[in-house]
Amino acid sequence: MEVVFESALNLLGFVVGLVLGIFTHIGFRNTGSPTLFRLNIAFFSIGIGFGVVGFGDLMELWVFKYTTVDTWIQTLGIGIQTVGYFFIAFSHGIKSFFPKSRYFKSIAAPLFILPGNSIEHIIRSISFILLVYGTIETIMSYMESRKRSALFVATGLGLLALGEFLGWYSIVFPKSILYFVSVSTKIVGLGALFVPISQVPMRGGMRIGGNV
Amino acid sequence: MAVTYRTHMSIIGDILTTTRDESPDETGASVTYLIRKANVSYGRLSKILETLVSQGLLEQSSSDRACKYRISDRGREFLQAYRGFREFADSFGLRI
Repeated sequence: MEVVFESALNLLGFVVGLVLGIFTHIGFRNTGSPTLFRLNIAFFSIGIGFGVVGFGDLMELWVFKYTTVDTWIQTLGIGIQTVGYFFIAFSHGIKSFFPKSRYFKSIAAPLFILPGNSIEHIIRSISFILLVYGTIETIMSYMESRKRSALFVATGLGLLALGEFLGWYSIVFPKSILYFVSVSTKIVGLGALFVPISQVPMRGGMRIGGNV
Repeated sequence: MAVTYRTHMSIIGDILTTTRDESPDETGASVTYLIRKANVSYGRLSKILETLVSQGLLEQSSSDRACKYRISDRGREFLQAYRGFREFADSFGLRI
């Protein structure tokens, strides 16, 4: 039962991610903006990542009749989501995130090396770092523009980061409620990213060539 | 104070906004006027104007003196869409 509920949450994330992806795709088709193209890839990846986990869990439960869910589906889904988080961070200019000095490299490198015993550990830690970076950049943007929608986006990315952290921590306590809380937090975070869409006036037939 | 650079898309937005809101007369805005208002060099503006006219976002009218540019209905739709998606990208701290 617990797996079904978690699958439902993941499928909700799949739908939310796809809707955000479709919206940014419309934006890209209308304006030809590379930023919207990157966000388009990001949201589709996040949505598909949730979908892989959700559908994978259901397939295992109902089709293959497994009692335990294989971790490779989870790892694959989270990996696809990480691609999405990368594109959000990349849109902010990720080059500035990685310091060039040897001193900083020596501090940052162990963060990637320590959890090397599991691919999922690595993927989740990368996702967490990318999302925290995206959150900080969006907060900085809010400080400049004072737009409330930026605050919602920052909150959304922050909750996604928290969700990834809790998801990583649930590996330490596999039987606990942490995984469920992690997925729920991520869904709420993804939902917060909807707020800016509600402020865009959408009209029917808004299709203009993207080669401007 | 940090210097913010305009993207290609925002320059297009500025040009279309100028032709829509700040045209000196009904026949449209001249190249000189657009250079001043949109703050773009002649070389860059010429290429952008060529693209915008070919895409049907601007209408070009030639008089005996010079070419003038006026925003089309398609251009107005584009500008509205651009502004909406610019707001969306702003929410992410990004520029389109």
